[in-house]
Amino acid sequence: MINTSLSLTNFRNHHQTDTVWGEHVNIITGPNGAGKTNLLDAIHYLCMGRSFSSNSDQYVVRLGERSFLVKGMFQGTIRSSFEVACSYQRGEGKRLMVNESPLERHAELIGLVPVVLVSPEDKKLTGEGPAERRSFIDALISQTSPVYLNDLIRYRKIIRQRNRLLTDLHHYPHQLDDMLEPWDRQLTETGSRIVMKRNIVIRQFQSWLEKAHEQLTGTELKPTMTYKSIGENDTSEERIRESYTFQLRASSVKERERQQTITGPHRDDLIFFLNDMELRKFGSQGQHRIFALALKIAQLYYYRDVLEDLPVFLLDDVFGDLDPHKTEIVMNMLLKHPGQSFITAAHPDKISGLTGGDSDRVSNYRVSGGKLEQVR
Amino acid sequence: MQLISETLEQAVEQLARLPGMGRKSAQRIAMYLLKQNDDQVFRLSKAISDLKKNILYCSVCYNITDSDPCPICRSEKRNTGIVCIVEEPRDVYVVERTNEFTGRYHVLGGVISPLQNIGPNEIRINELIQRIRDGEEIRELILALNPDAEGEATGYYINKLVHVMGVNVTRIAHGIPMGTELEFIDDATLTRAFAGRQRF
Repeated sequence: MINTSLSLTNFRNHHQTDTVWGEHVNIITGPNGAGKTNLLDAIHYLCMGRSFSSNSDQYVVRLGERSFLVKGMFQGTIRSSFEVACSYQRGEGKRLMVNESPLERHAELIGLVPVVLVSPEDKKLTGEGPAERRSFIDALISQTSPVYLNDLIRYRKIIRQRNRLLTDLHHYPHQLDDMLEPWDRQLTETGSRIVMKRNIVIRQFQSWLEKAHEQLTGTELKPTMTYKSIGENDTSEERIRESYTFQLRASSVKERERQQTITGPHRDDLIFFLNDMELRKFGSQGQHRIFALALKIAQLYYYRDVLEDLPVFLLDDVFGDLDPHKTEIVMNMLLKHPGQSFITAAHPDKISGLTGGDSDRVSNYRVSGGKLEQVR
Repeated sequence: MQLISETLEQAVEQLARLPGMGRKSAQRIAMYLLKQNDDQVFRLSKAISDLKKNILYCSVCYNITDSDPCPICRSEKRNTGIVCIVEEPRDVYVVERTNEFTGRYHVLGGVISPLQNIGPNEIRINELIQRIRDGEEIRELILALNPDAEGEATGYYINKLVHVMGVNVTRIAHGIPMGTELEFIDDATLTRAFAGRQRF
């Protein structure tokens, strides 16, 4: 999928920015605070319907304004070109539109333009709590499977309903059992489908992770990603459901104590290893950084494998963190990558020498003070 | 913004509470009503107040009606052995439009949703059980609830209660709407429809 043009209105520090993009590598340079990341964030809005750098749409509106608008044209290999737009107005909320017709649900947008994002926040993936890793795996799968996304939304709803019962009927244990039952059936049914799908995808993902990691650092250390869940070794949805039902029953006393649903895929985790070493406990800073980057590149390879259309690849300030050798590896990878990519960098000199021979595949842009210009 | 007239402000405030209505549309409607002749405005206000005054809930199925029991429950052409369970009165109209369903209805008036403090006692499940007990000779309940988590939970709950009473519970099928082009189906529905495919 190619983002051919982009238009931003009152989006962060961009008052009005309109641009066309190159089909392959787009390099956006400019000083800190110029608005480079905001351009990537705008593309991210059109792919995922939300910002990657802010938790709330209202902070994305340009200071002193009440609304923002992002519009972009996309061109697929099998799909003809189409426009995606996202508008937000204070007090009225967000609207997503494809070819000017509004989408009823946010979820309908996901997967239309697959996206892979590399950002400085990725260090949380390997270093912080399981929630970061769950959202990685969920974003990974949701973009290829609307059914998975639907199940996920439904599962979260069931958990909220169920938790409410656990709190409200805390003092009425008999009534609680009776009321929980209809939710439990759905919980294990939907939850098992989620576990099954994660299980399959994580297994497929392994070879792509190895490939990406090898390209970055060679074969000395082999990365693995293991899935920690209920019924992680069960091979059928039915078996997973049995395990889930069993564990739900086993945790019944504890969850009544805590008044919370404590078993299920919403408590899953991924454990990362380099050879036999658990990364989170023993990995060096550099190993964390490379592992996180490898995960994202593997995501790109995975999509290349399973999707008709190549994803849009966004790299926000990756080179700030990498040594010159790794920078060169990543740059070469991008130059060979058949899809479209967007890279932001504060120091153009760090990468300018690496793109010389491929000027037809590289488009350069410069941003300052919320204004963008193409550099020829 | 405060309007100049207190009376107008009152009207706008009330109109703005209606579903799908914002303050701006409410102002537009209030201004429009001001320009209409007295008779027209009176008819509208009467229709609104009659709505609350004259409309009853059928004591059998809890659909809205002008006379109790409702025409559907009174009708002798209706099969009393089959009851279709729906969430709201509007769903009765949707099923009735098909002209195919010949049984009767039971309107729950909502679905179970702990987050909104709605439990089985807040909707008309006890009334349904009473209907079965009262010897209406109900053989089959057809669940025509929305396929969301709340609708499913309500269905499970009802099924569990009536199963022991010897009543069959069925649910309407999920899949692709007739007369809809495949390309307009959302991906999740289509995937489910593939999973539930049948021999041609």
